[in-house]
Amino acid sequence: MELLQITKLSDFPLISTKKIVQMNNVYTSYDSKNYVLKEITLSIDRGTIYVIVGQSGSGKSTLLKLMNGMMTPSKGTVKIDYQTPNMNDKKFKLMMHNIGYIPQSLGLIKNITVLENTLIGALPRLGKIQSLFKIFPEEEIAEAKKILKQVGLEGKEYRKAYMLSGGEKRRVAIARAFMQKPTLLLADEIVSELDSVTAREIMNLIADAQKTMNLTAIMVHHDMQLALEYANRVAVIKDGEKILEIGVEGDKIVDFQTGNLTPDEIMEMYSVDAKK
Amino acid sequence: MTPKNNLLIGVVIALLVAASYNIGANPIDFVEGLPNLAIIADEMTEIEPTLFVTAFWSMFETIQMAFIGTMVGVVISLPLSMFAARNLNSKYVYVPVRAILAAVRTFPSILWAILFVIMVGLGPFAGVLAIIMYTVGFVTKLQYESIETIDSDPMDAVKSIGVSKWQLIRYVVLPESAPHLLSQMLYMLDYNVRQTSILGLVGAGGIGFYIINYIKFFEYGKAVVFMLVVLFAVLVIDWVSVKIRDKYIVKSQHGIEVSTS
Ligand SMILES: Nc1ncnc2c1ncn2[C@@H]1O[C@H](COP(=O)(O)OP(=O)(O)O)[C@@H](O)[C@H]1O
Ligand SMILES: [Mg+2]
Repeated sequence: MELLQITKLSDFPLISTKKIVQMNNVYTSYDSKNYVLKEITLSIDRGTIYVIVGQSGSGKSTLLKLMNGMMTPSKGTVKIDYQTPNMNDKKFKLMMHNIGYIPQSLGLIKNITVLENTLIGALPRLGKIQSLFKIFPEEEIAEAKKILKQVGLEGKEYRKAYMLSGGEKRRVAIARAFMQKPTLLLADEIVSELDSVTAREIMNLIADAQKTMNLTAIMVHHDMQLALEYANRVAVIKDGEKILEIGVEGDKIVDFQTGNLTPDEIMEMYSVDAKK
Repeated sequence: MTPKNNLLIGVVIALLVAASYNIGANPIDFVEGLPNLAIIADEMTEIEPTLFVTAFWSMFETIQMAFIGTMVGVVISLPLSMFAARNLNSKYVYVPVRAILAAVRTFPSILWAILFVIMVGLGPFAGVLAIIMYTVGFVTKLQYESIETIDSDPMDAVKSIGVSKWQLIRYVVLPESAPHLLSQMLYMLDYNVRQTSILGLVGAGGIGFYIINYIKFFEYGKAVVFMLVVLFAVLVIDWVSVKIRDKYIVKSQHGIEVSTS
């Protein structure tokens, strides 16, 4: 006789609320005098690609750091899955295990190998003794190798990180983030400084993950064209304020204030400096 | 030259003369003493080759003392420097640790040696303990300074994964500061061999014991054998450290300089 099919609790997807990030009237400051970000209100849907565009110094990196608790707002509220980001909070730290963060400089460890850099994403799952002696379980190593293959670094697992090209380094940073089994990926100018072919390859990796892993990717870009090509939503910030937010549906662009526009019209209207 | 600079130079010269007078440092004594050097040089020509065997063995003992002192010292320094680095601790931790280290550094190794001779008796063990103390004082300082200059980007990136502090140290701080550590170890070993060579002066073992005794009894010919061996050993160690440095450190330093883009 057939056994009763028992459904595990984890087979039920938790009733996933639509919004993963919510910011309400946020102000931030580094020196408690001047606000680097002002009146930022935004909400980001789970499983989408959200791109932040703006000139150098407009506050894009700061905005990302608010989402993983590296910065805290001076005023207003930030919620990630209904929790307030704070690096020193034990409960949020658990959430950080599954938030991939790729800083502008990538933050790779240069003297260790590609594989070791990738395995760093698995550290939260590693015990104390295993951590001390760098003993990663076989299945974690296999997983890391699988991810490295997925990002196009097969055969380069044992290269030292400093020996890689700019594009390859970005792939390692992505692999490390994927190793975290992320629900949210924050990537700061990950394709700036790359040629357009490599930039699209990198963007495709993230777009694929969005579809297959239901990843939410929040990215900072310089290039409006590339942003419109991949994003579901694009926010433009200028001098710390969000001056525009547009939705992208297929090849249509929906500006919530003015109706449907083309990329050229948008760039012209808001004088968005596409390339610095 | 501004008048202010001239005044400053004048003041420095006046202080120099006054201090020399106070301690009785007379250049004329130096000139008059030069012929005595010839007497010493003359005696030194009567080198006794049979002593070379003893000299090499005592040098070997010296090097072993320096080696143990350096290694144990570095092993103690490493965890200590993690508590002294400002970018890893709150000031309630690093301020007291640094204060203790500063106190340890105020003693030269020869004073530590005297202290340990009193504690554990004459012989090489007292010398090893002295070298350990000296090494801990210095390597910890060098090490926490290099930890503080670690690139903050990998630290931030790995911290943002929510790893523990120990994982951060193991996976970021150690690999990023390892090239410095190796270079500090070599530097310290080199320096400690020289230091250990004189610890015999206070009875803490090593080749210095022979040198000081032969000099005491005016047997310069014998003393010079031991000094030549020290010279030879120091040159060899210098040469070996240069080789190791070239092979391991220059390469990885290069890695540090390569930018991420
Ligand atoms: N650590 C910091 N300390 C002080 N000011 C900072 C710091 N980081 C960024 N800023 C300032 O905040 C503003 C926004 O910076 P940032 O968010 O890095 O902009 P973007 O990423 O858009 O170039 C800039 O004026 C910058 O000078
Ligand atoms: Mg930036």
